[in-house]
Amino acid sequence: MRRIMIDRYKCEACLGCVLGCMVEHNKKGKSIYDLDLEDMANESRNHVEVDYENRPAPIICRHCEDPECVTTCMSGAMTKNEETGLVEYDKDKCASCFMCVMSCPYGVLKADRINNEVIMKCDMCSNREVPRCVEFCPTRALYMVEVAR
Amino acid sequence: MKYLILGASVAGINAAKTLRKLDKDGSITIISIDDKVYSRCMLHLYIGKKRSIDRLSFVEEYFFEKNNINWIKGRRATKIEPEKKRVVLDDGSFHEYDKLLIATGSSAVVPPVENLREGKNVFTLRNLEDAIAIDKLADGSERAVIIGGGLIGIDVAVELMDRGLKVDIVEMGPNILPMQLDKRSANVYERELKKRGAGIFTNVLAQKGVLDSNGNIVEVVLKDGTSLSADMVIVAAGVRANADFIEGTNIKFDRGIVVNERCETDEEDIYAAGDVCANKPGIWPLAVEEGITAAYNMAGLEEKIENSFGFKNSMSFYGIPTISIGNPNIDDEDYQIDIYDDGKVYKKVVHKDGIIYGAIFQRDISYAGVFTKIIAEKIPIDTIDKNIFKIGYGDFFNINSKGEFEFTKREYGLKII
Ligand SMILES: Cc1cc2nc3c(=O)[nH]c(=O)nc-3n(C[C@H](O)[C@H](O)[C@H](O)COP(=O)(O)OP(=O)(O)OC[C@H]3O[C@@H](n4cnc5c(N)ncnc54)[C@H](O)[C@@H]3O)c2cc1C
Repeated sequence: MRRIMIDRYKCEACLGCVLGCMVEHNKKGKSIYDLDLEDMANESRNHVEVDYENRPAPIICRHCEDPECVTTCMSGAMTKNEETGLVEYDKDKCASCFMCVMSCPYGVLKADRINNEVIMKCDMCSNREVPRCVEFCPTRALYMVEVAR
Repeated sequence: MKYLILGASVAGINAAKTLRKLDKDGSITIISIDDKVYSRCMLHLYIGKKRSIDRLSFVEEYFFEKNNINWIKGRRATKIEPEKKRVVLDDGSFHEYDKLLIATGSSAVVPPVENLREGKNVFTLRNLEDAIAIDKLADGSERAVIIGGGLIGIDVAVELMDRGLKVDIVEMGPNILPMQLDKRSANVYERELKKRGAGIFTNVLAQKGVLDSNGNIVEVVLKDGTSLSADMVIVAAGVRANADFIEGTNIKFDRGIVVNERCETDEEDIYAAGDVCANKPGIWPLAVEEGITAAYNMAGLEEKIENSFGFKNSMSFYGIPTISIGNPNIDDEDYQIDIYDDGKVYKKVVHKDGIIYGAIFQRDISYAGVFTKIIAEKIPIDTIDKNIFKIGYGDFFNINSKGEFEFTKREYGLKII
């Protein structure tokens, strides 16, 4: 399967990946010029943390082999696609119980900030060859790899 | 190989799915009282008319056909005969097995309060049939009394109020949701409930129900003398494992079926998974984990339960999310309690010597999953020199060559005296 690889030592916390993610998931268009950063509806599914030594770390969903968010999902909204390896989220099935947020050991997940209803879940930009976060990363801290399962 | 599974809920279904993955040709049969597959965690949403029965399912369409699983529904197992390796059903038929999984969950109990068990308008919420009955009676009802202010009690209270009923909640703890929340965080929900007309009675037990001539409870009297009128009563005060049928076997039972970390019971070739098992909270993720683990061992592959931490709950009432992990109510001065409270967002972390034992996150639960991991596995945080609420996976960041996250091993810090 394909995975977004992270080289944290190349990350300069420019938040390009965060912006890229917002651009891709903006309902009003997929160009950076369509993105209104004051619109609360624009939220990213990844984030960058700063650790105890002030080093940045991009936190992006791994689409785990054994995903806790799927184990814990009681509505069938979170599923592992055995063919593509992606962990997919169906917001129409979701009951907003937040067990996935509680259970992701890597603290990747959150609920949307407007309604606290929908989980902000990486979809690897569905049909895009290269996910937007990777495309927007100027330091190549993010890059695509093919990994054996 | 002949696999037989009792129970068609989350533990049984996950076991069946895993068995099919591991054994393409084995015969898999599930027997259940349930005649539909549904998520019990969403039953209250049916009562609130937020989900239809179809939308309570947690499996894909044609699950049984796709996985070539034989499902005998609407039938109850009444006896296991290990020496004959078969299970007897309520219609007298029997089914043989090479490997048997007990995944029969639990049932809600009604405490021995006078007239509570007799009342015709008294319900628990565990099965779809319960939800359907509650929904029906709610239509002609004005007042409901909920006995038990835990997660299920509050789930039902919220939905009945949404339907216009006046609801009174009786809880013996000092506040609602006493297992998960502290006073500060429970108060937030109590306020929301009261704002919508709920009566909340804490630190008190129900003493008796008053029956009318039709056998319905019309009044619930509390130990302190308070009397609450009722058109219906919902009891959400605990559960009991469904395991009557093990009588006469060597399967050990201690408020649940006793299993080892491979989900094996004391009887050969008999396994158990989910809420029917002893010594842990009955929560969905554990039922999944155990169902999968049992399946591996049934298929002859050794697999142990990796994570049996069950003290984690998430909730969201009136758009306010909360996550509770471990024990956030430790009352011991050896423990340090850190609190963040800006009047809305509330966070609490209880720790001692670098180990976190409990936490509450209210209104801001983003990325809180990392705390579940830290608490469940007692990962020391004493060397992380940082505001405790800002701890995140970034502090443990480690990515392997396959692009998977792992936790950096942290040595327990040496304390300088
Ligand atoms: C209203 C409600 C809300 C909940 N919310 C949450 C939540 O938010 N988070 C969470 O983690 N958990 C929640 N839970 C708990 C969760 O639903 C259970 O942990 C889970 O359903 C356990 O699954 P199980 O497969 O072990 O058993 P169950 O779901 O209890 O299923 C048991 C199965 O066995 C069958 N059965 C029983 N006896 C027999 C017999 N003698 N013969 C044949 N078949 C039999 C039944 O028909 C059923 O198919 C909630 C529960 C309820 C009721």
